[in-house]
Amino acid sequence: MARPLLPLLLPFAGIFAAGLCLTLCQSLGLFLPLGSTGPTPEHYATVLGSAAMQRSFLFTLYVSLVSALGSVTLGTGLGYMVWKLPARLRQTAVVYKVGLILPHVAVAFLVLLYFGQTGLLASLLHRLGLAPTPQDFPQVLYAGDGLGMILAYMFKGTPFAMLMTLAVLFGFDTRLLQTAAMLGAGRFHAFRRVTLPRLLPAMHSAFIILFLYAFGAFDIPFLLGESRPGMLAMRVYDIYFRKDLTERPQAMAILALMFAFTALFTMLYNALARRVDDRGRKL
Amino acid sequence: MSRALTLLALAVLFVLPVAVLVLQAAAPGWRYPDLVPADLSWSGLAQTLRHPAPMLTALASSLGYSLATVLATVAMTMAPARFLAHASFRGKHLLEGLLLTPALVPAMTYSMGLHFVFIRLGLADNVTGVVLVLSIAGYPYMLRSLTTACVHIGRDYRTCALNLGASPWRAFLQVELPLLLPALAAGGSVVFLVAFSEYFLVFLIGGGTVPSFTGYLFPVITSSNRGLGALVTLIFLAVPVALFLTLEVLLGGYFRRRGMR
Repeated sequence: MARPLLPLLLPFAGIFAAGLCLTLCQSLGLFLPLGSTGPTPEHYATVLGSAAMQRSFLFTLYVSLVSALGSVTLGTGLGYMVWKLPARLRQTAVVYKVGLILPHVAVAFLVLLYFGQTGLLASLLHRLGLAPTPQDFPQVLYAGDGLGMILAYMFKGTPFAMLMTLAVLFGFDTRLLQTAAMLGAGRFHAFRRVTLPRLLPAMHSAFIILFLYAFGAFDIPFLLGESRPGMLAMRVYDIYFRKDLTERPQAMAILALMFAFTALFTMLYNALARRVDDRGRKL
Repeated sequence: MSRALTLLALAVLFVLPVAVLVLQAAAPGWRYPDLVPADLSWSGLAQTLRHPAPMLTALASSLGYSLATVLATVAMTMAPARFLAHASFRGKHLLEGLLLTPALVPAMTYSMGLHFVFIRLGLADNVTGVVLVLSIAGYPYMLRSLTTACVHIGRDYRTCALNLGASPWRAFLQVELPLLLPALAAGGSVVFLVAFSEYFLVFLIGGGTVPSFTGYLFPVITSSNRGLGALVTLIFLAVPVALFLTLEVLLGGYFRRRGMR
């Protein structure tokens, strides 16, 4: 019965699931390039007990939550505004796909070009006389608060959230809004009670996808991240490539914990979102 | 008023960066504190392009493995998508959810475990390994697109073709495949973008011997050569746009010829 599934199940098990298993095994000290030393939970103890690692985790959580929330808010707002445009103007909105097409590496370059200490904004403030020298320009990048990374993720995430909400809005029956208006609902009320509930599932999906990506991605932290506290992906990279082979299980332990966290977060978020949405729908 | 605001927001967010990139590529010497380039001449661009070979090699390599990844994901998901669209069995939703996880889980978590084994198997440091691991990262989008399309199309066309005496293979090639072309184009576009934009997986599994366009951009970003950075970023935009437009024209022409639109 499952034969048509084989072309997918084989690589799924042989590459993806096997890769996850190997990460787990190596985090326990098994199948290492230098031979097995385990199984032992000591690498987890080292990672979980490290104060620097806890700070990295909280920092990663902060950057991914803020950027995902910002992207979904901005993207939904922009998507809604584009949908309200007259049909002939809507065509111009395709420019938002620029943000979908540019890879994260290129977006990091744009952020540096705009927000660097000698970037475009610094030039603008210089021209306006607000920041005569580059030192007077408020430090946006590498300031320790992850703002550069958040800006980059939002530039990529906002068009993605727009894509998700526009897909719903373009299939949306506007007679519902006319009915709401006839029943006396104001524009704000109609948005909150009629449009928003239909957008929420798309917004939840966009949030989860963007959050998980920012939580585990490598490119943006490598180019725009500060070294302290440092994103988790950078910790893994440093341990894996720059340190002793004997410390490699620690990198794997961080990865295994990241995997467990993403799985747990997704499940909890979905359960919570369902409960909140259901309560809204009873009205 | 709100109309103007919408257009202004779109322009500032998405058109202005492209304009800045074009200016920066045309005037590599443009930097602080000039708000607009002081010297705008195409000679700067010519200077940037004096040694195009490494850039073109990286671009060709990225294009090659990205297109191979698209083909690999089609091969992986075509039969499963048709099956999942019409079959019903216990645990189907769980299986579908599981099969989509590679798109959600951080790529680092499975690729770093694989790295060591890929080295042992001779799959590291070559294009085959890179395409394999990129296919894992990309196939969920193809699977989703094809499964939705298969559900939408239904099985009746195929049944008709079979009743009229077509072999299962011919029914697939001449009836189902043309109907699936839009979904293949949509899924393929996303898979291409995923592969073309990826830096880490190519760097890890390709080990530096498989050049990538993202890898070419990486050191340029941190260097002071803003003109080259802007040019490479513009190419990152131009290549997919050109591909998608070509695809749309080709598909449109095909459907008009067959009278399907």
